[in-house]
Amino acid sequence: MTYQDVKPGEVLLAVDNISLSFGAVRAISDVSFDINKGEIRAIIGPNGAGKTSMLNCINGFYHPQQGTITYKGQKRSAMKPYEAAAQGIARTFQNVALFKGMSTLDNIMTGRNLKMKSGIFSSMLWYGGAQKEELEHRRYVEDIIDFLEIQAIRKTPVGRLPYGLQKRVELGRALAAEPELLLLDEPMAGMNLEEKEDMCRFILDVNDEFGTTICLIEHDMGVVMDISDRVMVLDYGGKIGDGVPAEVRANQQVIDAYLGGGH
Amino acid sequence: MFYREAGQFKSSYKEDQAIFPILQDRVGIAAILLFAYIAIPFVMSDYLIGAIMTPFLILALAAIGLNILTGYAGQISLGTGAFMAVGAFSAYKFATFSIMLGGAEATLPLVVTILLAGVVTAIVGIMFGIPSLRIKGFYLAVATLAAQFFIEWLLVKVGWFTNYSPSGVITAPPLVILGFEFNTPAEKYLFTLTFVAAMALLAKNLVRSHIGRGWMAIRDMDIAAEIIGFRPLQTKLSAFAVSSFFCGVAGALWAFVHLGTVEPEAFGINRSFAILFMVIIGGMGSILGSFIGAAFITLLPIFLNNVPPLIGWNIGVDMIAHLEFMIFGVLIIFFLIVEPHGLARLWTIGKEKLRSWPFPY
Amino acid sequence: MEDMMYELLFFLEVLFSGLLTGTLYSLVALGFVLIFKASGVFNFAQGAMMLFAALSLVGFQEMLGVHWTIAFVLTVALMVVVAWCIEKFVLGKLVNQEGIILFMATIGITFFLDGFGQTIWGSDIKTLDIGLPTGSIDLGGIFVDRLELVAGLTAAALVVSLAIFFNKTKIGRALRAVADDHQAAMSVGISLRTIWIIVWSVAGVVGLVAGIMWGSKLGVQFSLTLLALKALPVLMLGGFTSIPGAIIGGLIIGAGEKLAEIYIGPFVGGAIENWFAYMLAMAFLLVRPQGLFGEKIIERV
Ligand SMILES: Nc1ncnc2c1ncn2[C@@H]1O[C@H](COP(=O)(O)OP(=O)(O)OP(=O)(O)O)[C@@H](O)[C@H]1O
Ligand SMILES: [Mg+2]
Repeated sequence: MTYQDVKPGEVLLAVDNISLSFGAVRAISDVSFDINKGEIRAIIGPNGAGKTSMLNCINGFYHPQQGTITYKGQKRSAMKPYEAAAQGIARTFQNVALFKGMSTLDNIMTGRNLKMKSGIFSSMLWYGGAQKEELEHRRYVEDIIDFLEIQAIRKTPVGRLPYGLQKRVELGRALAAEPELLLLDEPMAGMNLEEKEDMCRFILDVNDEFGTTICLIEHDMGVVMDISDRVMVLDYGGKIGDGVPAEVRANQQVIDAYLGGGH
Repeated sequence: MFYREAGQFKSSYKEDQAIFPILQDRVGIAAILLFAYIAIPFVMSDYLIGAIMTPFLILALAAIGLNILTGYAGQISLGTGAFMAVGAFSAYKFATFSIMLGGAEATLPLVVTILLAGVVTAIVGIMFGIPSLRIKGFYLAVATLAAQFFIEWLLVKVGWFTNYSPSGVITAPPLVILGFEFNTPAEKYLFTLTFVAAMALLAKNLVRSHIGRGWMAIRDMDIAAEIIGFRPLQTKLSAFAVSSFFCGVAGALWAFVHLGTVEPEAFGINRSFAILFMVIIGGMGSILGSFIGAAFITLLPIFLNNVPPLIGWNIGVDMIAHLEFMIFGVLIIFFLIVEPHGLARLWTIGKEKLRSWPFPY
Repeated sequence: MEDMMYELLFFLEVLFSGLLTGTLYSLVALGFVLIFKASGVFNFAQGAMMLFAALSLVGFQEMLGVHWTIAFVLTVALMVVVAWCIEKFVLGKLVNQEGIILFMATIGITFFLDGFGQTIWGSDIKTLDIGLPTGSIDLGGIFVDRLELVAGLTAAALVVSLAIFFNKTKIGRALRAVADDHQAAMSVGISLRTIWIIVWSVAGVVGLVAGIMWGSKLGVQFSLTLLALKALPVLMLGGFTSIPGAIIGGLIIGAGEKLAEIYIGPFVGGAIENWFAYMLAMAFLLVRPQGLFGEKIIERV
């Protein structure tokens, strides 16, 4: 497969008419939308609207029964999650999915696994190739640790960290992969105001400094309208709105879904 | 001198990544090695060396093997004994290959024989690891019992494996390297020590590399691991392969160096459990723990056999066996409740305390 | 023609005997399922509980010289105590731990019970005789072991009474609720602890019944625990949470391994009963990882 280079502002990923059901539950029905290179794209919607399922389709964890996903100008066939990762799609999870038994540092190092090539034998011998590679990537990861301001918890097992910090470490792990497309599933859920502000800053910085395209799900409307370039709204698996924040805010269907949906 | 890092500023990530970043630890490990290489062979009786030290080291190696699979990669196995058996019998086949080919006495070099036995075991391990891609958790534990019972049966039933020895027992060739024959218990012990120390170092290197991190990632959360790019197939099967390699070498050493003659029953399901216990008690996910656990499980029966009579309490052999069972059971539960990371973690915690001693602030 | 007739009868005889042995596996598997359903614990100690119960039954009979029914009642009481201890000293201390830790804890329980049982009751092979019939009867040309027949009927009766217990009684319904939803169980007004103790006691009694059957057949001895391990492949086949699964899995394993031993065994040197069940279950799971009755699991993140 050959992927085209996508310039900022052009479509990086396009989702066309995808539908996904689990037995009788229709999680996504006939949704199309696209993500432009370099933008911050938000997906919002009431609980159970199919937002997480959408991210799961994009990174190959779920396979939609209908529709296509085009990434960098190339129509994707059903792929495994690790293949999506290899193509530069990284993500965080709604319920933190860190590796509990490992330290912050090691967790973020796992994000670099796709770039580490030394085999079993050279890793066993360590001195020479494997050590050099490890140190190289360690340097990159230390930069992320500095960027996220988590130096103090470098060696702490992540299971012992408070929730807000865990979310931050998870972001670090995703960043370590140097993704082209970063999917964030409710990165600010359960955080206090200060933590939210920090997280917003990190997201904007990542987008700014590395030009990383970001697709995020968030329930906090203030945040969404503030930081995102475009917003898509899902309800009961279907798309009910899409556009720049101001447009979406004015969309009657969206207002109904949010007021009527018990929000 | 206090035990601490103060004044030992780690100026580079390289130093930070060393296995023993603290000077005192490096001194400690050097002292242990010196002691193991020089003091033990001179001080301990042949009996103690042959009956305790050598088997302890070999079992520690097997425990490292299982620890890689269970402690690091999170795949429970109840078939360790069988993998040791594969190592033992394939070493035997390699050692006697010339006989198989119809020739006389030529053998492969000893070290090559043992390593090849490890490779064969790794391949068998991969075969029995394939189900792990579809079967998880307890289901997998049960599937490894298939390996245990099937391999044991195969080695008993198929005469080829024992070169058609009528009793099913195999006898190891003399241990010769470059013309030097390892004869006495002390010599055999030194041979084992070298093997085990070297392999422990290799294992330690591996588990702190990106390969080891992949195993731990799969263990802690397999879905997330796959989503960030670890391929389940490679990651799991490499754990099975490396783990089995270690168990296979341990089995070969058990047959060639420790026992000399061996039958498949020596690698039964109880062996598998004993090694699992070493891992739990010593510490899951710790190379050091594998040694501690092996020491513990090797010494406990000896302790039970010797101490009650010393204090004038005469209990039968039967009774001791049952007591051993009970104590193992209680200890396993105790450790799982109090410190799932086993004695190795207690050791680390102790060190941390020591680090801040005597001024905790 | 004569030959074929004979062959067929022989086949049926093997099949039937396999099915009946299978019900014995099912009995052990049933204990596993009960516990797994209610507490999510994979109880490796079910076999040890069976041996311990059988040893105790014989022990009480010998020690007190009482009728087996009294010994039975005493053993049931003892199994309740065991369940209480397990909850108090093991599971209660491991709440919220991962399944794999609990699983290993039950391996610890296994070793403890094996050692403890043999410490107090001795380790020689004991005959268990509660007057179950022996010998075989002729069912239209097929000879069937009477004991196996009784075992099969007992297993059936046990399953029916468990089904009634679970569906018709208040406690039973609470137990089912706890499997689905802990909150629901609390709302019935029974504490989780009590429920666990009840479930482990019931599993202990199921173990006792299984132990009586196996013990009558082979004598009460340590090697029963190895036989009990065969309940594991049964569970793999049937799924960990399904009572019908345990029954049908047991029948398949029992019949499968007998037939394999008779018809394949001779070509490969025999004694394949030792591993056949495990291989069969493993091969099956490769095709259907959720077992016969388990639901397909779609993982989420
Ligand atoms: N693996 C699965 N199996 C069965 N149903 C699923 C699965 N994943 C999602 N669903 C269903 O699909 C629907 C959409 O779920 P999804 O998690 O995508 O919602 P969401 O928009 O992320 O909601 P929330 O805001 O609560 O996170 C829900 O009804 C959910 O129950
Ligand atoms: Mg969601």
